[in-house]
Amino acid sequence: MDEEKVYTMVLDLLNPALRDQALLDLSKIREQYEDLALVLWYSYGVMSVLLQEIVSAYPLLTPPTLSTVASNRVCNALALLQCVANHNETRTLFLHAHMPLYLYPFLNTSCKTRPFEYLRLTSLGVIGALVKNDNPEVITFLLSTEIIPLCLRIMETGSELSKTVAIFIVQKILMDETGLYYICQTYERFYAVATVLNNMVNQLVETQAMRLLKHVIRCYLRLSDNPRAREALRQCLPEPLRDATFQQVLKDDITTKRCHSQLLHNLADGMH
Amino acid sequence: PAQSPLHTALVGNIEPSDMEDGQIALPNLAPYLTFNPQVILYSAQPATKRLVLQAINRSIREIIEPVVERSVAIAAVSTRELVAKDFAMESDENKMRKAAHLMAQNLAGSLAMVTCKEPLRLTLMTNLRNILLSNGLADNLVEQAVHLTVSDNLDLVCAVIEKAAMEKVTLEVDECLLAAYTNRKKHREQRPGQPFYDLDVLSASRFPGSLPEPLRTKPDGLQAGQLRVYEDFARISRVAPPPAGTATGATGSAGGPPLMNPVANYPNAAAGYAGAVVGGMMPDTNAAALDFENASGMQPSAMAAMYHQHQQQQQQQQQQQQQVSVHQILDR
Repeated sequence: MDEEKVYTMVLDLLNPALRDQALLDLSKIREQYEDLALVLWYSYGVMSVLLQEIVSAYPLLTPPTLSTVASNRVCNALALLQCVANHNETRTLFLHAHMPLYLYPFLNTSCKTRPFEYLRLTSLGVIGALVKNDNPEVITFLLSTEIIPLCLRIMETGSELSKTVAIFIVQKILMDETGLYYICQTYERFYAVATVLNNMVNQLVETQAMRLLKHVIRCYLRLSDNPRAREALRQCLPEPLRDATFQQVLKDDITTKRCHSQLLHNLADGMH
Repeated sequence: PAQSPLHTALVGNIEPSDMEDGQIALPNLAPYLTFNPQVILYSAQPATKRLVLQAINRSIREIIEPVVERSVAIAAVSTRELVAKDFAMESDENKMRKAAHLMAQNLAGSLAMVTCKEPLRLTLMTNLRNILLSNGLADNLVEQAVHLTVSDNLDLVCAVIEKAAMEKVTLEVDECLLAAYTNRKKHREQRPGQPFYDLDVLSASRFPGSLPEPLRTKPDGLQAGQLRVYEDFARISRVAPPPAGTATGATGSAGGPPLMNPVANYPNAAAGYAGAVVGGMMPDTNAAALDFENASGMQPSAMAAMYHQHQQQQQQQQQQQQQVSVHQILDR
């Protein structure tokens, strides 16, 4: 990707009249130019412009009046933030400026129309980009905010794709030592997560969505690493994960099948 | 605004218990409340209007502190970080302060609005219903009054919380940036005419130097065009656009964020109060927003039609592309 072209597009972001097109163009090429996150972060005013784009969409959330055009525009801005969240040299700066918190109002919406679904999915994508690199600072930041309840609600009510990204975020938080400890620290927290996972399993019996099942099993397996959660799971692991319900779907995925066996093994251990 | 009989009747009715020490001071909303003429209760028993004011004040009290605190905390940090970065080579602390204020006020106001609106609506409904019922009023009359009164006054009540957040964040952000302002002032006094560098910010990054001119800041300070980015924070509307298609079409064709005059969106009596809120805080804001709208001088309907037609073709395709990228997060 031609550097000069990227600079021109970034410069266009600063001009309100050219911004809409620049957002679209940049979000299209964001994977083709490795240093885009650095250019976006260090260019004068760009982060502030992207925040303006985000808060401009707030009045459209309640009552729900977000159009497809408005949704696309703010999602293009979010795609650029995803790029900044994803880059090793900008991720911490992005956190220190508390930028992820401006996405929470989007995650907190419940309108089922396509523009809203798309907005939630893209916002989850930014948080997903933050957590996927296993940075403890990210986990600490997210735990100190209300991301878990937001993810849990999307895991219950979102589209399949949103559910998948939401459970991916929860799984990443669980994989972190502090995250696992935090979620298992009180019964209420454990119970909130376990209830949502339980409901997902029951839905999965119908939908057989393999990718979602994979994450569900990994979350349970990780929870079983905590002694108190393990004890509780012996009582509340849903039946379809104890019997052969998912045998057929799991048969070609050796890794997940192994996770499932390990989970059952962890729960059986010390029972006798 | 001219004092209505209602105002005369209600003024001074805020309970002393609502004004405890350390709390955010609430303005007297009495003159600005809307009492819908369709509400039978208000014409049959005008004394109930006093109960409405009580319910509204109680609802604001229940919600305002946590909402303002959280919104201010987030907005102040974002403003501190981004303004420090963008003004690292600007020696004029007044330009820095002005940008920081505009940004922080908009962010805190926006966050407060989006956070409080729905909880506030529910709290208002509950408190208003309870207070009317506990005063022995009939169920059916109460329901009608609750629904109309809440929808007529919700924007006004949100504006109170928004204003509190905007005022508090202004103080907060000045505190965060106090050292930055002082350093600039000192530099000008000790080394007049010398370029200013905030080394704490600039030494943390290898990158800005390689950016082309307009994207990076220069030792001789920021240009008017660059400062415009921060001035734009004053132009963003924080209230919902009007429901009809005309205004949304106009903003769509301008290609920028919604540029409506915030005051224009408050219904009836609320407009007076909102004008006082916004106008009092930033005297030049509304004028700027209006100028900008006039300057665009486009034909809203024709432009909007073209814009939408063009957009619609791309929408479906783009939403599919976007989903692919979410897949990539998971699969990598």
